[in-house]
Amino acid sequence: MAVSGRFVALVALGLLPVLLFPGWPTVLAVGAVLLVLLCTDVLLAGTPRQVEVLRAEPANVTLNNMAEAVLTIRNNGNRRLQGTLRDGWQPSAGAQNPVQAIDVPAGESRRLAILLRPVRRGDLKTPHVTFRSFGPLGVAARQRTIGCPGSLRVLPPFHSRRHLPSKLRQLRELDGKAAVQIRGAGTEFDSLRDYVRGDDVRSIDWRATARRSAVVVRTWRPERDRRVVMVLDTSRTSAGRIGDETRLDTGMEAALLLGVLAERGGDRVDLVAFDRRVRARAGSAGQGNLLGRLVQAMAPLEPELIEMDWPALPAQVRAVSPHRSLVVLLTTLDGGAPEEGLLPAAERLASQHSVVVAAVRDPQLGTMLRERDDATGVYRAAAAERALLQRAAVTAELRRRGVEVVDAEPHQLPPRLADMYIKLKAAGRL
Amino acid sequence: MTGILSTSNGFAGTDPRDAGTGPQGAPAPAGRWRHWVRRHRTLAAGAAVVAAALALAVGTQLAPKGDSVPLSVSNAGPDGAKALGVILRQHGVDVHTPERLEGALAVLRQGSTLLLYDRNGVLDGPQLEALMERADRVVVVTPRLNTLTALDSGIRQAGVVPEAFPVLEPGCILPEAEAAGQVTGAGSFVYDGGTTCYRPGGSAAGLLATSADGRITVVGSTAVLGNDKLDEAGNAALALRLLGSSPDLVWYLPTLQDVAADGGGTSLDDLAPDWARFLGPWLLVVAAAAIAWRGRRNGPLVFEPLPVVVKAVETAEGRARLYHDSHAIGQARDNLRAGLLTRLAGSLGLGPGATAAETIAAAAAVLGRDAAGIAALVNEHPQTEARLVAWSQALDNLEKEVTTQ
Repeated sequence: MAVSGRFVALVALGLLPVLLFPGWPTVLAVGAVLLVLLCTDVLLAGTPRQVEVLRAEPANVTLNNMAEAVLTIRNNGNRRLQGTLRDGWQPSAGAQNPVQAIDVPAGESRRLAILLRPVRRGDLKTPHVTFRSFGPLGVAARQRTIGCPGSLRVLPPFHSRRHLPSKLRQLRELDGKAAVQIRGAGTEFDSLRDYVRGDDVRSIDWRATARRSAVVVRTWRPERDRRVVMVLDTSRTSAGRIGDETRLDTGMEAALLLGVLAERGGDRVDLVAFDRRVRARAGSAGQGNLLGRLVQAMAPLEPELIEMDWPALPAQVRAVSPHRSLVVLLTTLDGGAPEEGLLPAAERLASQHSVVVAAVRDPQLGTMLRERDDATGVYRAAAAERALLQRAAVTAELRRRGVEVVDAEPHQLPPRLADMYIKLKAAGRL
Repeated sequence: MTGILSTSNGFAGTDPRDAGTGPQGAPAPAGRWRHWVRRHRTLAAGAAVVAAALALAVGTQLAPKGDSVPLSVSNAGPDGAKALGVILRQHGVDVHTPERLEGALAVLRQGSTLLLYDRNGVLDGPQLEALMERADRVVVVTPRLNTLTALDSGIRQAGVVPEAFPVLEPGCILPEAEAAGQVTGAGSFVYDGGTTCYRPGGSAAGLLATSADGRITVVGSTAVLGNDKLDEAGNAALALRLLGSSPDLVWYLPTLQDVAADGGGTSLDDLAPDWARFLGPWLLVVAAAAIAWRGRRNGPLVFEPLPVVVKAVETAEGRARLYHDSHAIGQARDNLRAGLLTRLAGSLGLGPGATAAETIAAAAAVLGRDAAGIAALVNEHPQTEARLVAWSQALDNLEKEVTTQ
C-alpha cells in the first residue's frame, strides 16, 4: 500500500474541522472519514496481481548512446489499472524515465518505452517492475513488485574507430608496393603492371617485358590469411585506472582497432580474454561480422581480482591457433614480477609465434618526473623514475627475447599497435 | 555449571595444577582466579589501574566539601559567618542551625531570636507568618521585597548605601547601634520605616531598621555578620548585640527545598484556547502521512555491481611516500641518476649497453662542455634534502639542454 500527496492534503484539510470544533468526537470523526476514504480507494484500485508484463529485449547499444526498453502491460483484471509503473533498471543503465504513468483499462494492454542512456559497459540488468495502482480517488494505492528480469548489453565504445581510415589506407598502400621495399620471407607475388617512373628497376620482370613492347614490373602483395591472436589480460592488473579508463578498456580499444584492421588485411583474427581461465573468446571463424562478435565478447568483461596464470597462456594460444601466428598480449609491463610471469610466457610463445606485447604507460608518471620543486616532488620523481626504469628493463628484456613491445599512453596505444601490425605485415614477419 | 567450568578448564589446560584440583576437574575458585590473573597479567594490571582511578575519582567527588553557603555558621570563607557563630557559642548563646522550615519551627521557643537570611526569597507569606508567630525577635538580613511585604512590619526597601559612605555612623537612639558605633556600609542596602539607624548622608532610610514593636530588625548588610569584615569598625559589636541578646538563637537560612509545594496560579494550558490542544498532535498526524507518502519506496532497491578500479599510479605514489618518510636520499639519487643516464643514452643515440662514462662524454661533446664538470654533477651524492632538490633540478636542466641541442 502507498498513499499519495492527495491523502496528505486531505489530512491537512482535516485540521480545519478539528480546530473549528475542538474535542475528541471531532478528531475521531475526521479520523474515521479519512480511514474510510483510504480503505475505499485501496479496495477500488485495480489489482496489480492480475497484470502481465512482457519485456522486449532491448537491442545492443554502445556506451553513451540511447537505447529503448519496451514493456507491454496486459491488464487481466476486471478493473481499470491506473497509477504508476517503475522499471527497476540499475542506476548505471541511466533510465531517463523509469517511473511512468499508466492507464490500462480492463482486458487491454499498453506499451511503454523507457529511455536508457547507459554510462557503463557490460550487461546492465533490471530485476523487476513495480506497479502502484491508485483507486478512483487517487488517495491510496496498492503496490506490487513483479519479477520481470531484463538486460541490456552495452558494448565497448570503440573510440579508436577514428584511426581506422588512415590505418586502412596505410594497409592498402602495402598492396602493390614495389617488392624491393618490402622484400621478405612472406611476401607473395601479386601481379604484373606497366613500369612507371619511380619503380625500382630491380623489380622489372624481364621475361614479361620481352613478351610485350612495354617494360613490365612485378608487384607484390603482403602475405594474407595469416593468423592474429589477441590475448586480453583480465587479471588484477587490468583494474588499474590510467587517465579516464582502466587498462582493460584501453586494451579493448586497441584490440578492436587491430582486429578490424587485421581482418581487412585478410588475416584471421582471434580474441581470447584470459586470467586464470578464458573469460571470452571470439574470432573470424564464426558467423556475422567480426567487429560485432568482438564487441559482443568484450562487453561483459570486467577486471578480475586474481593473478594472471602466465604458464597456462601458451597452451591457450595453441588451442586457438596451432600454427605460427601473430600473438598480441594486451597486458601491463609493471606487474608484480614480470620475470616470473610475462617474460617466460612471452619467450615460450616467441619460440613459435611472432609476439607483440602492448602495454599502457601512465602519463601521470611523466608528470611526476618533471615536478621537482621540493623534497616531496623529488621523491615522487624518484619513485616515478624507478617505475619507468623497471618498465624499461622489462621492455629491454622482452626485446632481447625477440618480442616486440608497444608501450604507449592510453589514447596512443590503439594506433601504435596498429602501426606495429602494419610494420610486421610489411616486413613479412607474420 | 560444573560441567561448563570443567569444559572451559579443559580448553585452557595449560596449568597442570588445575587438572588435579578436584575430582570433577573443577578447580577451587581461588585457584581459578589466580590462574586467570597469571594468564592475563596485562589485562589484570590494566583493570587494577582503571579500578584505582575510578575509586579516586568517586572518592574525590563524594568527599565532603566545605560549606559554601553565604552566612552559614559552618562556612569559614569570607562570606560565611563561622566567626560570629563561634563567638556567640563561646558567650553561652545556644545557636541552632535548622536546615528546613519545619526544623526552624521546631526549635523556636519563647525568648528565641531568629536570624533569617532568605537571599532567594523562597519563603512565602504563610511560612513567614508561622515563623513570626513562634519567634520572639526576628533579625532579617537584606530581605527582598516579597519577604518584607509578607512580614508586614512597615519597613520598606530604600535603595543602596552610596559609595561615598564606606562606614556609617549610628545616629540613632537604639542601644545596640549606639554601643557598636561605626559599621561597614559599602555594598549594603538601606531600609525605610520604623526606627532607622546608620543613615547615609542624612536620608531617612538606614542600614538598620527596627519595627515599631521592636520584634523585627532588618539588617541591610551581610558584611556586618560575615567573616571577612567582622573585625572591622563596630561590625562585631553590632552583630553580637543584635543576635546575642537572648540565650537561644535560631540561625535559619531557607533553601530551595523550603519552597511551598502548591504551585498556584494559572498555567499556559489553562490560558490556551481549546483547539490548541489538538493542533500539535494533528500536525504530527499530517507529518506522519507526509512521511508515508514520500517515504514509501517505489519498489525494492536495485543492485549496482561496482567494478574494481585502482589508480594505476598508486604504487609509484606509495613508493614516493615511503622514500619521503624514510628520507631515502641515496635511493632517490640513484633512481634519478639512472633514469637520466638511460634517457640521455637514448636521445644521444647510444646503444642500451652504453656506460655512464660514455653517456656523460657524449653529452659533454654535444653540449660543448667539459666532461669532468658534467660527471661531477651526475655522480654527486647529495647529503641533504635541500641539496637533493637542487641537484635533481640541475639534472633536469642538463637533460633539457641535451634534448634541445
